[in-house]
Amino acid sequence: MIQRAIEAEGIPTIGITLLKEVTRKVKPSRALYLRYPFGHPMGEAFQVHQQRTILLDALKALETVTEPGTILEPGYRWRRHVFGPGP
Amino acid sequence: MGSLSQLINSVLVQLFKHVPWLASCWARRHRFVEGQEIPWAPLRKPLGETRIGVVTTAGVHLKSQPPFNMDDPEGDPTFRVVPSDAEKAQLTITHKYYDHSAADQDVNVVLPLDRLWELEAEGVIGGIAPLVYSFMGHIDGPHLRTLVEQTAPAVARRLMRDGAQAVFLTPA
Repeated sequence: MIQRAIEAEGIPTIGITLLKEVTRKVKPSRALYLRYPFGHPMGEAFQVHQQRTILLDALKALETVTEPGTILEPGYRWRRHVFGPGP
Repeated sequence: MGSLSQLINSVLVQLFKHVPWLASCWARRHRFVEGQEIPWAPLRKPLGETRIGVVTTAGVHLKSQPPFNMDDPEGDPTFRVVPSDAEKAQLTITHKYYDHSAADQDVNVVLPLDRLWELEAEGVIGGIAPLVYSFMGHIDGPHLRTLVEQTAPAVARRLMRDGAQAVFLTPA
């Protein structure tokens, strides 16, 4: 809801979501869905590579997504996916 | 009465944390403000030249600011304004509807300011807007209308005034 208001003001937005069902209903312009528990939109505490990768995935979506309502799913598995230092 | 509802709430918080499909069940049954047309604003410049604004609904605020109202079962539609370069020791979380034990240890779990400043230093993003707008995401009943009609548009205008050219949002 807040995201839609910001986009309507003319600012492009990207939001992390942990609830795909809600995001499908609310319909923000761009979203990145992670199947992570509540309280962990950027992953685990002190896991710098993980937090950085998720943040970069989200920010890059601002450049790459062209279809309003896109929900990206990188598919990282909670506590299983191994995150490298990345770019 | 209050302590019973608090107990039920803390049980629910743990259930939602450990049994993810319960959350999707709840989401399917719960009524949300459903969007119709999807608003769209394209990114005007490459990310490396774009100033990023930040919004969170994880209930983060400065210790010196009044906490979000946890006594109202329908939540608190107000927001707090936090400097994006605030010391982490100055930050705290008021939100009893999710388990923020990890975020209490490392706020980057819900509000990745350290990661954003690293990307800014590397030139991956053009800058970070000076102010973060922070809500607590558990907003229901009449407060939903206040959020949709007043607070969310007010924050959108403030972000524009702050010079945010794109906005990154994190939930609880």
